[in-house]
Amino acid sequence: MSFLSAEFALFVALTCVIFHAAPAAWRACLLLVFSYLFYASWSLPHTLLLLATTAGVHMAALTVSRCRTERRKFALTSATIAALVALLAAFKWGGWLAGMLAAAGSRGSGTIAALLMIPLGISYYLFKTIGYLLDVYWEKVEAQRSFVSTALYVSFFPQIVSGPIQRAGDFFGQLHQLQNPEVAAASAGLRRILLGLVKKIVIADRLAVLVANVHADPAAFSPLELLLGAYCFALQLYFDFSGMTDIAIGIGSLFGVKGPENFNLPFSARNIQDFWRRWHMSLTSWLTDYLFIPLRMAFRGWGNAGLSAAILINMLAVGIWHGPKWTYAVFGALNGAFMVVSVFTLKKRNAFFKDRQKWDRWRVFFGPLVTFHLLVFTMIVFRAESLQQAFSYLSNLIPHGGTTGVAAWPLRWSLLGRSSGTLAAVLTLAAVIEFINWSSNQPEWRKRFFSLPRAVRWGLYYAGTILVILFSADTLNSIYAQF
Amino acid sequence: MTNDEIRQKLTPIFRDVFDDDSLEISEATTAGSVPTWDSLTHIDMIVAVEKAFGVSFTTKEVGSLGNVGDLIRLIANRAK
Repeated sequence: MSFLSAEFALFVALTCVIFHAAPAAWRACLLLVFSYLFYASWSLPHTLLLLATTAGVHMAALTVSRCRTERRKFALTSATIAALVALLAAFKWGGWLAGMLAAAGSRGSGTIAALLMIPLGISYYLFKTIGYLLDVYWEKVEAQRSFVSTALYVSFFPQIVSGPIQRAGDFFGQLHQLQNPEVAAASAGLRRILLGLVKKIVIADRLAVLVANVHADPAAFSPLELLLGAYCFALQLYFDFSGMTDIAIGIGSLFGVKGPENFNLPFSARNIQDFWRRWHMSLTSWLTDYLFIPLRMAFRGWGNAGLSAAILINMLAVGIWHGPKWTYAVFGALNGAFMVVSVFTLKKRNAFFKDRQKWDRWRVFFGPLVTFHLLVFTMIVFRAESLQQAFSYLSNLIPHGGTTGVAAWPLRWSLLGRSSGTLAAVLTLAAVIEFINWSSNQPEWRKRFFSLPRAVRWGLYYAGTILVILFSADTLNSIYAQF
Repeated sequence: MTNDEIRQKLTPIFRDVFDDDSLEISEATTAGSVPTWDSLTHIDMIVAVEKAFGVSFTTKEVGSLGNVGDLIRLIANRAK
């Protein structure tokens, strides 16, 4: 059952009605049952894996919290986390390994590949379980006695397809709200779902066609067309993933659970480290707490080399979290390298601009512009099917540096697969949506919106709904659901 | 060392690490109230504090700090 299907909309509506009609004490159990039903609609064997993993982590967390000696506590936490990481690696990279074996002509590789079909949302739910166990070990969170609470945290259906990765303490702290969810939060949730659907179906999926065309054969396109394709992919990725996050947060609100935000106007970031504090925040903050800080603490005696190593390993982890592809590893490594340079020059840059107040004003404009272009560059590698294809794309981006002899500047809309009018309309809508994202955190703008006549507000909701219905026929799977 | 003496000794460290010559800290100061205090500069600050006070912290202790007051109490306990 896809997140963007009519069946899923019906499933959410039905779950919502039954949830609110049920006695308060039953609601956590009901939500757990519906979460497992949703997951089982994808794969029954993978549902059993989800259940077994949850049971293992539940027992481990309780045992860790009751351990009397630090040594046993550490041993049990380490062993369980090693098992969870091995599970993640087996499913994420086992299929890739089987593919390599198949290419080498090994017998049985097909069976291995079939067994290691990547379970839906495994990267998200295993990160939740690892974080929960570490929080129990670090005594930040109490181990849950109720298996229903642990299982609901791990399998909560709005978050299992593409996150966000909610922290255990944050989720458990909200469980009491299941008994009395706020109506205002639920209606805000519905608006958030609509916003997410517009982002995903109307904006991201319109850009997807153009992006797919230029990436299929970069050599056939002019540098300007490739540049446009690169910009469009950055926007597609953002509107696709942030749209899915909006839908997840919106559905969670219908049941009284507020999920963590994943994006905070990432393309306004002043530098690379600022970008990674604004992009896929639930993953990057998870990696900061459970990977970067322990690494940085372990390497702190090595001075700048230790800091560089911690940053590079962390960013490499961001890259390969997406899957077993060299393009993802290079994407992570490039971002790591940019971040190392940015971190080590930041103080000097600040001092330079402090003495030149006039230039500082330009920095506000040029900082985000340069950061955006660095990200667009690395996202070309992220999107490419292979490193060879990424190299082909990048080399053809340089006017006259390509191999095809296509002139530098034509924009052939028929080849790109979208008309200039469609693209202009989509980009205008994208700007409006980004303004909504920004203004929704500004109290005075929120007040302005809600003081609009009811007919105007409902007109906007209907307009958004009609756009979603009109374009839902050719919607695509979310990019981030595959991770 | 009293908590206030520790706070006074921390002030120049914070000003240097967080690149703000006018930064004033109190026990209630948190990462949220200092714009340049992020996960990168957080450990830089911890390393500088360890050096200045001749102490060593664990990852668990560093992860449990909620504000400057927690850091002051941690240093005071360690220095006992």
